Amino acid sequence: MLLDDLIDSAQSDELLDEFAKREIRRAILAAVAIPGYQVPFGSREMPVARGWGSGGLQITLAVVHDDDVVKVIDQGDDDGVNAVNLRRLVTTSTGADQTSIAAEASVIQSRHRIPEDGLDEESILVLQVPVPEPLRGVERDMRELARMHAEADYSRMWVSLYEDKVRNGVITQTTGYPCLVNDRYVVATTPIPRWDIPRLHESPFLTLFGAGREKRIYAIPPRTKVEPLTFEDVPFEVEHADGATCSLCKSNAAFLVSLPNSDVWMCSDTDWCRRTREASA
Amino acid sequence: MGYVSARGGLDAIRAAERLVRRLRLTSESSWLEEDQILEKLRLLVDRVMGEAGLWAPRLAAKALRQSEGDATEAVHLLRAYRSTLPRFAYSESADADDVKVERRIVPAFQRVPGNQLLGRSVDYTARFLERQSDDMAREEAEKLRSEASGTPGDEGGEAHDNTDTTQRSPQRLLEMLREMDLVVDRRRADDPEPFDITRTPARPPAARSALLSSMTRADTGALVNQWYRNILGPDGYLHEVTLGEVRHGALDVVVRHPVTGLPVCVTSVRVTEVEAIEDLEGVDEDRTKFDVGYGLCFGHNERKAIAMANLDIACHRDAGRTQLEQSLLLTTDALDSAGFLEHLKLPHYVTFRSMIERKFAMRKARNRDAS
Amino acid sequence: MTNDVEYGRYPVARLAVPEWMLKVERLGRVYGPYDDTVITSTGPEIGSSKSAVNGAVVAAWDVSFEVAAGEALGLVGESGSGKTTVLRCLAGDVAPSCGEARLRTTEGDVSMFDLDSSARRRLRIDTLAVVYQDPAEGLKMNISAGGNIAEPLTAAGWRNFGKIRDRASELLTRTEVPINRMDDLVRSFSGGMKQRVQIAKALANSPSVVLFDEPTTGLDASVAAGVLDLIRSLLEEHRIAAIVVSHDFSVIEMLTSRCLVMQHGRVVENALTDQLLEDPHHPYTQRLVAAARA
Repeated sequence: MLLDDLIDSAQSDELLDEFAKREIRRAILAAVAIPGYQVPFGSREMPVARGWGSGGLQITLAVVHDDDVVKVIDQGDDDGVNAVNLRRLVTTSTGADQTSIAAEASVIQSRHRIPEDGLDEESILVLQVPVPEPLRGVERDMRELARMHAEADYSRMWVSLYEDKVRNGVITQTTGYPCLVNDRYVVATTPIPRWDIPRLHESPFLTLFGAGREKRIYAIPPRTKVEPLTFEDVPFEVEHADGATCSLCKSNAAFLVSLPNSDVWMCSDTDWCRRTREASA
Repeated sequence: MGYVSARGGLDAIRAAERLVRRLRLTSESSWLEEDQILEKLRLLVDRVMGEAGLWAPRLAAKALRQSEGDATEAVHLLRAYRSTLPRFAYSESADADDVKVERRIVPAFQRVPGNQLLGRSVDYTARFLERQSDDMAREEAEKLRSEASGTPGDEGGEAHDNTDTTQRSPQRLLEMLREMDLVVDRRRADDPEPFDITRTPARPPAARSALLSSMTRADTGALVNQWYRNILGPDGYLHEVTLGEVRHGALDVVVRHPVTGLPVCVTSVRVTEVEAIEDLEGVDEDRTKFDVGYGLCFGHNERKAIAMANLDIACHRDAGRTQLEQSLLLTTDALDSAGFLEHLKLPHYVTFRSMIERKFAMRKARNRDAS
Repeated sequence: MTNDVEYGRYPVARLAVPEWMLKVERLGRVYGPYDDTVITSTGPEIGSSKSAVNGAVVAAWDVSFEVAAGEALGLVGESGSGKTTVLRCLAGDVAPSCGEARLRTTEGDVSMFDLDSSARRRLRIDTLAVVYQDPAEGLKMNISAGGNIAEPLTAAGWRNFGKIRDRASELLTRTEVPINRMDDLVRSFSGGMKQRVQIAKALANSPSVVLFDEPTTGLDASVAAGVLDLIRSLLEEHRIAAIVVSHDFSVIEMLTSRCLVMQHGRVVENALTDQLLEDPHHPYTQRLVAAARA
């Protein structure tokens, strides 16, 4: 590559130099080849802070071309300020178009939700990951964590689930439920709600997980087995509220969030809600 | 609910950006020049360059001005800019012996070849807050300037640069100790490639170069705190060392020209370098000798380099017994820690909803079991 | 079926067991560099396991024995005799310097010291269990009694919560731990109770080999008696090949049918436990027996 080309790319709106993108793509390929394995990568600093989506952003920048269409959400909302910020960074530096409709997007970057619909074989879902280590609650030493994953020794995880059920009567994992991917690695499913977990199993779409601060990328390729860790006689429970429906679209087929101390519920996936309202109007 | 209306998010961000920019650029006082920051806040500039891992004084000054004095924010600006720059060359190995010292002290001995050179330091200056008015300060500055104008090399006062050129790079104490056969020799016969933490994340057990690289661009406060906590805290696995040597000075950076292959000096950086002498008393150690810890960072930042040297030798002697290495590699970066802390301000209402749901599920289960 | 065979410096009864479950051959563990001169500069005749040649410690050397299913073998000696070193090598906690240990499994013989860490871990889950002197070594104090037993079960692939709890209750009942304490953190248990939980955990996956390291040392005499009684009845019930390490001959007497006497890292005597108590040959054994009788 000529020095001129390199200098040109440095003057542009690019957030990452070309070599960095190549490195990230290689890490992604390794991740896809070993479903659920956390691939270390040389995570670069981005214009957004660590912990605010720098990993997801790097993956998106590495895979998006100017003929892509991107959707960016936070908590399911396209209009969340952090999502807005990330989306404009992506579109200005890559030239890609934007949309809020999941079915129209080729790449969806999301914090804490999987869109309720619209993802198919053509979609790539990029999830932002605060903490990629699912065993963090039962072990602190990184050397021991590496051994546990290498030897598929997840017994401490199982013991903690047993203790949880014994102590609380139910398994109290909230979001980011640990799942066994491809019968091999246990992964942290970022803080997506349990509601979204079943859609990872044998999904038609590719899911990429970016942890910029921790400098790890992992992946769930399409049509991969994803099982939430639970006992065979303790059914996996998604979030549920009796009788709750969205006050805007009247549906209860989507994940709902509420106002504090109130019975007013709303879809977290704002675009799904909008389309549902429009369809029934 | 925070961000319901369409286009509300983008409008909100734009409004916030405009507000910050307007207030930053149109304040009552006069424009803050880069030179003012470089000269008058030089130590802050040095610290920011050190934590960004990027030698670029003007850019650091710009970053500090843009961040309105928030050092960590300035570090972020520099590192993010660095991410856009392709890497097209590596410098030749720089020999720390070539540092032209502006300051050099050796606490381990009273007198040393090459002399103790206090240099530009406030260590022994009384900490009195000067409350003179700006006018009086300007008057004093004028007087000092006219006194100095006739005498080249006179930096105002009795401080003269007495060292001749050979003494600008005096023999280091470590060498003298080696000649006395007092130091364990951990030098390697091979010359391994240094670990590049910007390309591969370092995890324990890591090469020493990975540890040193992580510390050299660690947050200053974090390193100082790690050191202090380990000396006095319940963990207490650090020993206080004797400082062998503290140096600050300029170091040339040389790159091979891509076409001619000839060495070219591309810049001169300033570094602070510390060697810390550790007394060996462990069962499996050579108790007839000392060992040495090393610290080096960009700019003039002595507390960071001293903490780094202490922690380097502490980590070596710890040999993986505790999680000190993990702590140093993974919890001392300014951006990682600040970013993750502040990310708590992001919306977390999906998680919170899920947590509330589990609370109700627990109560239901408890009632079911009770009946 | 005893043949007196002289090997090494000490004549020992070489007890050939037709159906061994565990066979150990010339196990040795040395701390520090060693060669023949280092080895011969240590041992009972020298009076130390620390070599005057270079300070290396020959913690155990040339230890051989066989244990059959349903049999309990004792390793007796004072502290520093090497008996715990032998146990820890078999447990996988310490790497031996030399020697072989073969285990008979349903898939054939396994050479224990040749296994990688993953295979070793599987062995500890499925086939070989250890009960340590200090319960904190074998149990997680901040986990419930049931949870501690759930660990080997889930590691072996149990995934049914109800069945895990049933098995845990069954084991705790058998080891006489009150069932209403099943969900209490082990930290809150008395010393004797902790040992019972440790034993219950060791039996979780019906191991064919169990190693006991000073199982009742540190317990009150009456509490110890109860635990010993429990171990004895468990060994009778299951066809386990057991090794019991103790400095106390009365423990060895109660639990084992054969035993090895160790001093300064070497085996000095090897015979049926009853015979040893009746008619100890080696002066060291005589001293130990006398101490037990006192």
